[in-house]
Amino acid sequence: MSVSEDQVAEAMYAMIKEYHGKRNLKALDLSKAMIEKFGEEECDKKFCKKAIRQLIDSGRCTYSYVGGSYIVLPPDSPDAR
Amino acid sequence: MVEKLRDTPKIDELMKGPWPSFVKEIKLSAKLSGRAGERANDLLGVLERSYNDKIGHWKHGGIVGVMGYGGGVIGRYNDLPEEFPKVAHFHTVRVNQPSGWFYKTDVLRKICDLWEKHGSGVTNMHGSTGDIILLGCATEDLEPVFADLTEMGFDLGGSGSDVRTPSACCGMARCEWACYDTMGACHDITQTFQDELHRPAFPYKYKFKFAGCPNDCVASVARSDMSIIGTWRDDIQMDAAAVSEYAQSGKFDMQADVVGRCPTGCMSWDGQKLAIDNRNCVKCMHCINAMPKALAPGRDRGATVLLGSKAPIVGGALLSSVMVPFLKMEPPYEDLKELAEAIWDLWGEHGKNRERVGEFIQRIGMSNFLEQIGLDPIPEMVIQPRTNPYIFFETEEEE
Amino acid sequence: MAVDMKKRVTDIGPPHYDKFLPPVIKKNYGKWKYHEIVKPGVLMHVAESGDKLYSVRAATPRLASIESIRMFCDIADEFCDGHLRYTSRNNVEFLITDESKIDPCVARLKKEGYPVGGMGPSITNIVHTQGWVHCHSAATDASGVVKSLMDELFPYFEEMNLPAKLRIAFACCLNMCGAVHCSDIALLGVHRRIPEIQHDQIKAQCEIPSTVAACPTGAIRTATVDGKQSVEVIEEQCMFCANCYTVCPAMTLNDPEMDGLSIWVGGKVSNARHEPMFSKLAIPYIPNEPPRWPTAVKAVKNIVETYAKNARKFERVGEWIERIGWPQFFDLTGIEFTKYHIDDFTHAGESFKRSAQLRHK
Ligand code: SF4
Ligand code: SF4
Ligand code: SF4
Ligand code: SF4
Repeated sequence: MSVSEDQVAEAMYAMIKEYHGKRNLKALDLSKAMIEKFGEEECDKKFCKKAIRQLIDSGRCTYSYVGGSYIVLPPDSPDAR
Repeated sequence: MVEKLRDTPKIDELMKGPWPSFVKEIKLSAKLSGRAGERANDLLGVLERSYNDKIGHWKHGGIVGVMGYGGGVIGRYNDLPEEFPKVAHFHTVRVNQPSGWFYKTDVLRKICDLWEKHGSGVTNMHGSTGDIILLGCATEDLEPVFADLTEMGFDLGGSGSDVRTPSACCGMARCEWACYDTMGACHDITQTFQDELHRPAFPYKYKFKFAGCPNDCVASVARSDMSIIGTWRDDIQMDAAAVSEYAQSGKFDMQADVVGRCPTGCMSWDGQKLAIDNRNCVKCMHCINAMPKALAPGRDRGATVLLGSKAPIVGGALLSSVMVPFLKMEPPYEDLKELAEAIWDLWGEHGKNRERVGEFIQRIGMSNFLEQIGLDPIPEMVIQPRTNPYIFFETEEEE
Repeated sequence: MAVDMKKRVTDIGPPHYDKFLPPVIKKNYGKWKYHEIVKPGVLMHVAESGDKLYSVRAATPRLASIESIRMFCDIADEFCDGHLRYTSRNNVEFLITDESKIDPCVARLKKEGYPVGGMGPSITNIVHTQGWVHCHSAATDASGVVKSLMDELFPYFEEMNLPAKLRIAFACCLNMCGAVHCSDIALLGVHRRIPEIQHDQIKAQCEIPSTVAACPTGAIRTATVDGKQSVEVIEEQCMFCANCYTVCPAMTLNDPEMDGLSIWVGGKVSNARHEPMFSKLAIPYIPNEPPRWPTAVKAVKNIVETYAKNARKFERVGEWIERIGWPQFFDLTGIEFTKYHIDDFTHAGESFKRSAQLRHK
């Protein structure tokens, strides 16, 4: 594999940042977008899961709940305006 | 220690009467020293307010939880924080119960101590899904509570769009009717799917409930996306002498109350001898329930797996329906896990936000669903075949 | 929050139940032979080995202070070597092997105010939800109604003289935590007015497209209010389900005068005799009457008493009604049949009577 977990995590983060305040993204929205971007060969569901875990465990992103579970920027994140 | 408990004439009415009073319970906690007492005392105040206003005073939602998990904590805020500052944040912490809800007092006491130190002293034993509910955690206490819990060997349960905390009837621990080890299966599944339980990645919630026999003491057929209900394939075990004893006991009328109530009419009683046409027995449990000393489930035991029950939100209530008529339930439960994962793959990819598996199946069609997860259609899955001729025939050339 | 993720323990799951089982259960696990109700609230399980286990069942209000849990622990230490369990219906069970300890244990529980019973053909604890104690969505309180009901139905908990077991459940809104929709008698909180939209909050608190999508009847559409992006609700299409409120906190339905509860009957989950079935509407609306909800209590008691008087042995509420027919149910209970009893949601036609098989007075 030439795509690294960090790269996928970064791409996910960019997407979350872009949609911040516009649309809430679910774990699956992120995975689907990454698989499309990098290709199933390079980046499968399991790999996406790891990247999401990296974003959450590092505190750069967090889970939120509004009727469903989403992955968002923490309120105190510099990227959250 | 709270100097004086809040004045609560309205809810004090609920201290009266023979049934145990939840108001008394909140007051017991309000008398605790330290913050727990203060918080329970403000809860009394809020509740009294609701009884006067005829409206709840809680708000929901938001970003609240322990680091790394997306489930287990439910955000709750009071809408009168100036009046009731101690319950301004009053989150729910779901703690995954041990299978079958068995405890030793030493561990229960530890949970109590933790909840006196960090919380409100108010709990639910247990919540609707089965978790131990710690009611009323402040945001800043979440991490310390989690640290103490894990040190005691406990972990959080599910919430949001994830695997919800599975639960099981007491099964083989205390019930002669258990057709598989419900507590063992529940524990195994819970441990296997820790990631799915703590890190929500589904369209909506997914519940497992394990019932040891068709009596379904955990209401799995109504309350879980995946209902695993114990059953058997061979003949009901019978002790003829014990049957006679029941017949003479005067507890019921063998013909009218037992034989006459068999849903398939597969039993007969000639005044001496009970006969069962086991081929036509649908394992409903009625006769066994009536005569536990005389009858018992057969020896070839396993479970029926049903799918898709839910409460009304969003598209109406559903009961689970049959997926696998009979599955041997032996550790490590590979077949069950593979089935669950195949379902999650499909539903995860194509399910809409907040769409439960039951609703998903209705939307895409059961036949389509079965094909995708690799199960063959069988007559056990339906009450009857369709009555309308609007069939979506596949028109491409047959091979 | 500074949390050291490396040192943190996660994903350990619940402790293994094995640690908490009494020796008699470990020894006879999967080898029980039969059971018997010795007397109300006391169950005896006999193992193939001949060992006996007695379970003493007491009611709890579900909402439990750690002080009363500690008191239960004292009792379990005194009579059960520290072993107890809870049931799926919020009862607590004391697991006793020494027969001589049963009566003192029962006496002690009763003295502390926790009644013993809820077995066999009785009314056991009412499973219920959070209500005004702790939920945002509640159309009524849960614990208060349950307490008022059980005070009145108390004799049915302590005795075993009903035709069959009778299961009551309570949920304070249509979310139905605990899915009460398959109970002999279910009480369900209902809202009855359309969501009140906080137009100045909605943009900050909610995501407008998912709010619009949340409505099962398509009653919500986007709108501009005072120059701000918001939504509006088409009144005739709203069925007050509060699904929108779950995804958007700026659309509240709670209302002191319009909220209340409804009563449903004839559901069951067990497979015994009749297959599992949903509860059906008996009474569409009863107003909230805190602190003791007299109208709701009276209504439930009436249904229980009518059932107790008319049903045959082993017949659950739903089986009884199926035998006598719904017209007779309304007749016997004196409950009024209204236009609200006729289904008009997705699969409505399934409940229409399509035969001439009727009883005539
Ligand atoms: S579901 Fe069956 S096996 Fe489980 S406790 Fe109930 S009666 Fe026993
Ligand atoms: S279990 Fe049910 S179906 Fe089978 S013989 Fe007994 S009453 Fe009849
Ligand atoms: S039933 Fe509704 S109001 Fe009651 S606790 Fe559940 S979500 Fe809250
Ligand atoms: S309450 Fe239900 S029907 Fe009414 S607008 Fe909200 S989601 Fe739609």
